[in-house]
Amino acid sequence: MSLLLLLIPLIAAGFVLVARPSNGRQIALLFTLANLALTAYVVMAFQSGGGEALAFRTPWVPNAGISFSLSLDGISLLLVVLTNLLAPIIVLSSFGRTYEHENRYYGMVLMMLGALNGVFMAEDGLLFYVFYELALIPIYFICAIWGGQDRIRVTLKFFIYTFIGSLFMLMSLIYVYLQTGDPLAGNDVIRHSFLWRDLVAVPLSPSTAWWVMLGFFVAFAVKMPIFPFHTWQPDTYTTAPTGGTMLLSGIMLKMGVYGVIRWMVPLAPEAMHTLVPTFMTLAVVGIVYASIIAVKQSDFKRLIAYSSIAHVGLIAAGVFAWNKTGVQGSLIQMFNHGINVVGLFFVADLIERRLGTRSLADMGGIAKSAPRLATLFMIIMLGAVAVPLTNGFPGEFLLLNGIWNYNAWMGAVAGLTIIFGAVYMLRAYGLAMFGEPNEATAQFADLDTRELTILGVLAFLVLVLGFFPQTILGLTDQSVNAILGAVQI
Amino acid sequence: MKALLILFFTAIAVLFAGLSKNRKTLQTIALAGSILALLATGIDLMLGDTTGLNEHYATMFRFDQYALAFSAVVLIGTVLILGLSGWGFRALTDTLGDNYGLILFSLCGALCMFSFTNMVMLFLGIEILSIPMYVMAGSRRDEPESNEAALKYFLMGAFATGFLLFGIALVYGATASFDMQVIARAIAEGKHSLGMLHMGILLMLVGLSFKVSAVPFHFWAPDVYTGSPNLVTAFMSTVVKTAGFAALYRLFSSAFVDAIDFWGITVAAIAALTMTLANVTALFQTNFKRMMAYSSISHAGYLLLAVLAIGQAGSAGAMLLYTLSYSIATICAFAVYILVAEQNNNASLDAFNGLSKREPFLAAVMVISMLSLAGIPPTAGFFGKYFLFTAAFERYPWLIGLAVINSAISIYYYFKVIIAMYFVRDEASPVVVTPVGFKWVVAGGLVLIALLTLAPGSVYGLI
Repeated sequence: MSLLLLLIPLIAAGFVLVARPSNGRQIALLFTLANLALTAYVVMAFQSGGGEALAFRTPWVPNAGISFSLSLDGISLLLVVLTNLLAPIIVLSSFGRTYEHENRYYGMVLMMLGALNGVFMAEDGLLFYVFYELALIPIYFICAIWGGQDRIRVTLKFFIYTFIGSLFMLMSLIYVYLQTGDPLAGNDVIRHSFLWRDLVAVPLSPSTAWWVMLGFFVAFAVKMPIFPFHTWQPDTYTTAPTGGTMLLSGIMLKMGVYGVIRWMVPLAPEAMHTLVPTFMTLAVVGIVYASIIAVKQSDFKRLIAYSSIAHVGLIAAGVFAWNKTGVQGSLIQMFNHGINVVGLFFVADLIERRLGTRSLADMGGIAKSAPRLATLFMIIMLGAVAVPLTNGFPGEFLLLNGIWNYNAWMGAVAGLTIIFGAVYMLRAYGLAMFGEPNEATAQFADLDTRELTILGVLAFLVLVLGFFPQTILGLTDQSVNAILGAVQI
Repeated sequence: MKALLILFFTAIAVLFAGLSKNRKTLQTIALAGSILALLATGIDLMLGDTTGLNEHYATMFRFDQYALAFSAVVLIGTVLILGLSGWGFRALTDTLGDNYGLILFSLCGALCMFSFTNMVMLFLGIEILSIPMYVMAGSRRDEPESNEAALKYFLMGAFATGFLLFGIALVYGATASFDMQVIARAIAEGKHSLGMLHMGILLMLVGLSFKVSAVPFHFWAPDVYTGSPNLVTAFMSTVVKTAGFAALYRLFSSAFVDAIDFWGITVAAIAALTMTLANVTALFQTNFKRMMAYSSISHAGYLLLAVLAIGQAGSAGAMLLYTLSYSIATICAFAVYILVAEQNNNASLDAFNGLSKREPFLAAVMVISMLSLAGIPPTAGFFGKYFLFTAAFERYPWLIGLAVINSAISIYYYFKVIIAMYFVRDEASPVVVTPVGFKWVVAGGLVLIALLTLAPGSVYGLI
């Protein structure tokens, strides 16, 4: 079943890219919806206790201990659900723009989705790495072909940054891999293994664990991104076409957080005591730093980009705290941030399409001519601000609780995010929606059916998950206990 | 052994058939001969049959699993290149038969380099491989660059041969034998003059470094690669390079393995210099062939990691996978380059501007080749690199760190081609007519890359 989740988007991508059908966008939408239906089925199977039956395992390079193993636990499943839930929304939201070589665009999006599913399901270290990189190639093409100004330079920087980061991760993985198995066995037998449980079982000395963890951290910190590895992010988010930005912010940055939870900490827990205070500080500094910049932004898309750095900083800090509330909070917040940020970027895109500008100064008074947009945007914005009864609240509450338990001072500083978040989001909302309409915004057309569907679904999710956070927490509860229990710090 | 005989007789047949000057016939004979040789090698490899003809020249060469596997790699490379030769050699007229003959003869030399058990055979193999290459480099007699390339290649090659021969003589002096096993035993027992042996190993290393274009003995490569006819460059940077490395590995793993403490650090230094210098220089190239020349030098640096990992499980398999994926990707890249550059008379990277608009297939082939050369997952090149790095990791972690940084640098220049093809807007895209042979070859190359991606273990586990 897990194999199917991976193959559907990849086969669809191959079909759209090679056969070049005239209605590539509809086919892409169809396949993403099919995958969403399959995901729903998988969730039901999982909840009826069939987690292990969903796995797929086969040897890949048997003589080197590499296997093609996919499996689903609650944590993986949550992110797979996020990926496949956002997939049709992202595809549908791209319909508003006409792209040159449209099939290539949708083919790349599908390929990216397949790779993301693979990242979240991989149980083998090398397989994880392969999918982690495979996700990078399509997004690079999406951003560099259909992006805005200065896209070639910006995206190459993005690519090289993330690729260097993941190479360090590869070195860490290889190191741990070489320590697996029986050291006394001869050279002729296959003694190493890349399987997660074998890698986790390797005991490392604190000094080697320090290097291993650092290698992982560089890769994941670039991907998320955590201050000071974030410099590629605002430019890339701003120049990328909106579909690409949604993929990057909604799903791809979760690869980094997921990597920390699944791979970094379990593989090198021996270095937690020495390195985590530094990581924690970086994450908290990033929250405040990005929030302050976000307050000052006049470019709407850039503002969301910086807000995303602040949010992901909080999520990462929750993971580094490595206690139940922190990790649970980060998981629920990853899911909700995906929904909120995709909604915000969609609003930014539709305003840009109508007005031809992203500058908040040129907006104003849109609420008068587009009340439906104003309402739905309001709901999503409140979710991003983490107002109680929206989806942002439970996650942020748990995260701050977890960070507070780790260190009260860190918790206090990280708590500023709530205030800053309210400031920059409400400021952006006020500038865009209220005030006196100018010539352009007076004729602002309200949402059409397609846009209404997308924003309606997202706003609905914001409210539902705000009322019932237990649906997510219940899904991941056991797996979080398992992974916290498996790692002895 | 069967492959060697098949190739030799095909080469002679092609020389005679050259009188007819019929392009189609010549290409068909050469192609049929190499495919036959490939099949024979493949069958032997599958059956694990290494006896039979081997007994006749037991003291000279032995076609073991290792030799067969590398023979298959160069034969695959040659078949692909011969597939391109119909259109690729269109400028040659009266010397066409000679050219096909020379390719096949030099392949015979390569096969000897994979299978030698005696240093005399190694030397003969290298010469049989090299001398046809000197001629091939100058096969465009009307072009000054081609003549320059041939002369440079010949002078440098002769120089390297001198070093190699001197090295062989010193090793003989120290161990009193040309036979690999006897030398290995002598070194293991320590019954030799240490200074003379070490000097001999060093000189042989220098000679072979010239052949595989490792820094600091790489100076000839960019000029020779740029000046030679395109298809000959493709042959040099794939088949000749593979042959050089397979010979180097065989020599050091069977004869000099016990002296690894002595030559290990030297080879590590050469590897570090080679990959760094070549990658950094490649960043500044604007001519595609020159860029590929430096790229090929940098790959020599990575391949030296296999020599450093001698004795570790899977080092030979890693080199096999690496040379195979590297050869296929390079030949595919050259196929596209030949079409674009020769039809538009532009050898610079600008020639690729906007190629994706008019020729999506060729552009896609180029992208996959570049990604594979850069070692980006999930392409075949990644697995080659991965296995090489893993094999050498335990002994030289710092070198792997450097290799990783170099892989990151190399992205920058490989991506220049991708950027030109896909992202550069408002440029008139180049006009390209694709002959049938090219389509077959690049499609075959893509299939092979895909197979290597899906099942890298089948090649890695072969030896």
